[in-house]
Amino acid sequence: MINIDNISFDHCIKCTVCTVYCPVARATHFFPGPKQSGPDAERLRIKNPELVDKSLSYCSNCKRCEIACPSNVRIADIIQSSKWKYFKKRFRVRDYFLARTDLLGSLATRLSFLVNLFTGFFPIKFLLEKFLKIPSKRIFPKYENGTFHGWYKKQKKHQENFKNKVIYFHGCYVDYNHHELGRDLIKVLNAMNIGVLLTTEKCCGVPLIANGYVENARKNALFNISSLGRSVRESGLRIVTTSSSCNLALKHEYPNLLELDNSAIVNHLDFITRFLCMEFDKGNLPAMKPMRIKAAYHSPCHLERMGLVMNTIDVLKKIPGLDLHILHSECCGMAGTYGFKSEFYNVSQKIGKELFDIINKASPDIVITDCESCKWQIEMNTPYKVMHPVSLLAMAIA
Amino acid sequence: MNYDCIIIGGGIAGLTCGIKCLKEGLSCAVISSGMSALHFSSGSIDVFGYDEQSRPVDNPFNYIEKFTALHGHHPYAKCGPDNIKEALFFFKDALAEEGLELHHNSNENHFIISTLGILKPSFFSQRSVYNEEIGGVFGKKSKIAFLNFDGYRDFYPDITIANLKKNALFKDTDFISGNILFPDYGSIKKNPFEFRSVDIARIFDTSRYLEDIAKQIKNKAAHADIVCFPAFIGISNFKKHHEALQELTGKLIYEIPALPPSLPGMRIDNALKSRFASLGGVFIAGDRVISGVIKNGMLENVRTANNMNEVLKSHCYVLASGSFFSGGMTSDSASIREPVFNLRVEYSPNRGDWASDKLFDKNSHKFIEYGVETNDSMNPFGADGSSISNMFCAGAILPHYNPVKDACGSGVAISTGYCAAKNIVNRIKGSKDRK
Ligand SMILES: Cc1cc2nc3c(=O)[nH]c(=O)nc-3n(C[C@H](O)[C@H](O)[C@H](O)COP(=O)(O)OP(=O)(O)OC[C@H]3O[C@@H](n4cnc5c(N)ncnc54)[C@H](O)[C@@H]3O)c2cc1C
Ligand code: SF4
Ligand code: SF4
Repeated sequence: MINIDNISFDHCIKCTVCTVYCPVARATHFFPGPKQSGPDAERLRIKNPELVDKSLSYCSNCKRCEIACPSNVRIADIIQSSKWKYFKKRFRVRDYFLARTDLLGSLATRLSFLVNLFTGFFPIKFLLEKFLKIPSKRIFPKYENGTFHGWYKKQKKHQENFKNKVIYFHGCYVDYNHHELGRDLIKVLNAMNIGVLLTTEKCCGVPLIANGYVENARKNALFNISSLGRSVRESGLRIVTTSSSCNLALKHEYPNLLELDNSAIVNHLDFITRFLCMEFDKGNLPAMKPMRIKAAYHSPCHLERMGLVMNTIDVLKKIPGLDLHILHSECCGMAGTYGFKSEFYNVSQKIGKELFDIINKASPDIVITDCESCKWQIEMNTPYKVMHPVSLLAMAIA
Repeated sequence: MNYDCIIIGGGIAGLTCGIKCLKEGLSCAVISSGMSALHFSSGSIDVFGYDEQSRPVDNPFNYIEKFTALHGHHPYAKCGPDNIKEALFFFKDALAEEGLELHHNSNENHFIISTLGILKPSFFSQRSVYNEEIGGVFGKKSKIAFLNFDGYRDFYPDITIANLKKNALFKDTDFISGNILFPDYGSIKKNPFEFRSVDIARIFDTSRYLEDIAKQIKNKAAHADIVCFPAFIGISNFKKHHEALQELTGKLIYEIPALPPSLPGMRIDNALKSRFASLGGVFIAGDRVISGVIKNGMLENVRTANNMNEVLKSHCYVLASGSFFSGGMTSDSASIREPVFNLRVEYSPNRGDWASDKLFDKNSHKFIEYGVETNDSMNPFGADGSSISNMFCAGAILPHYNPVKDACGSGVAISTGYCAAKNIVNRIKGSKDRK
């Protein structure tokens, strides 16, 4: 019997439009592109798994092919699940750690000073490249001293006193690398008379999925569905996220890739800018001072996939005085852990080139984007500081 | 979030409508679930190509006036001749602002050459397909070269030439055919299955091989006046590279739209989206409108697949979701439907009438003429039979015309999209005046 989980490949009309819009296929001819690696090859793979082609691993799961496809083929999903189903498992130290942002984070935040020093130190980077195949040119995100969760403990009482509240799924990045974004979110929502609650959470699973650790991703997903689900049931509150990729995982990857039932949370989940739009529409707009700066907005691929870019733009347009430039939508090439791998580093840089060029041409004061990995990539490759829309709002509110 | 206008479908009809709305000062969002039919079209804008006897039409505007007097159901009849011309030149100007020029033969059609060497009438073309100089060369005693890129499998110059030779227009023409080697072919060859014109275009867009290609053209087509290729001159630097190549070779460079995805079509798609965005429009890609609430003859809101628990609202809505090919219409064994709102559809209840037995029937297939019925203001009818006053239909979703047989697809899409926008502007401004 052929096991067919995702038969959307059958809707493919072979038009090749997906391949035209695939940033990886554009950057390297080693990747045959979404049409070939997705619907075309799937027909062969389901008959004979031996026919799987290594070139699949080039796909960064940006999902741009799915946005372009006129026939609703879930191309990126087909490719990701083929990676797990048909590739022979091979242990790799690097991928093991890259996949476990939470493990890495909870270790690194204890020794943040040393870790940040070491990862910026060239001989160490040289060794990382040599033995782990982590590109020495890549600049590492800095680790915070302690976790966001730890910092929040002192806040908890105050936040619980608000009449209106939300549950915040902060994700690994805020927890280990960037408390400021979490604090900015609290500041913005508090200014709108909304308290921020945390619940227990695990890494959303995006890096696990990308590195082929499906079973671990499933475990994390089940944990999050049950933990967030319980909080929602008990409180009736909405869940917000500030990371577009965490949001995509909770909403899209859990049911479509991990084949888990996320109905306990999916209708209570909002990406932050969507939540803000709804509040603004109700008249709950915080007082803001004019921001006389030029901001270039870059829309992350995963936010595009969820159709949420309009919400972020709408929120940014509410900031008085902001000179907003919306950049032509291009992939930055980072794709989470993709750009941390030597074998994909050049492709990743080549993909991003177009975006870096248009940012430089726009010559803004700051760049705005909703995704942490876009932020790393853009900060490494352009002279500009990159901020989350929530942080910009927090600045306007101060 | 509230808009003046939400447009469902980001093809040529939806985007033309959106650009016109924005220019009139309305706020506007387009929701589009996948890339549009532009990716499959020639990139030339057909206005009216063939008459009822399938003979080429010389002056499409004169013909439309005569034709619509007899066929009141045709979408052009609902626009009126002045609006059609206004719409087409509005469209031309919008593309020109993005650096994409359209050329035309005053009020007459010109012809374009297909990969199979068939001549097709069209009205607007890009500079590499029609301009005055090109028009002057064809049909004279001239030398025309058809060149292909080594390894490119979607174009066979000898077939093109064999068919053109059958045409009286080319009886005095000398033909040359040949291949040139694309400099990066070595690396493209690693992936021979996807060697499409888009792949060539991408590399050509970088300017790296301009001079090399020019040299090869001069070698292979030394005496030709005009050199024809499958479309390959990129997207972002199209005008610059076309000019440079003509200068370096001293020849006219002609592009034949090749198999999809169509480069000339993508140039238009790109230019329209970029015009729409720079006027402040919001384009939501990859999302699909799945339902809407119709009450008291008005569409109140719509819902999309990605955000099921939130509704989107606007004063007016445009349905420009295309025909069967784009999912604007669907069918099963017994009926033909408009899948999102279940609007009234015009079709024959007898299934045998839907399609001809011959795949390439000269008279095309009947189903192409089926679509959403509207009144003269382009408002569709709901399930209860009454018209929906704040909703307008445009483009391939409309019935009573045959874009294939008549060669009028893009012209109808542009005209109806433009007229829908005008109707919306009147409606919204009218209601503001009343307030
Ligand atoms: C293969 C082909 C070749 C053609 N070649 C030519 C040519 O050479 N010259 C010419 O003049 N004409 C040509 N035509 C005709 C002409 O291109 C079309 O009539 C015209 O492009 C239609 O434009 P449109 O905007 O109405 O619809 P489309 O271009 O079909 O766009 C509709 C859009 O709506 C989206 N959509 C559908 N349902 C939903 C939904 N529920 N929610 C959100 N979005 C939705 C679709 O994904 C699509 O992007 C061709 C048509 C086809 C099919
Ligand atoms: S997900 Fe992105 S990288 Fe992967 S095939 Fe699709 S477009 Fe290409
Ligand atoms: S865009 Fe969709 S239909 Fe076209 S080739 Fe790709 S998967 Fe197939």
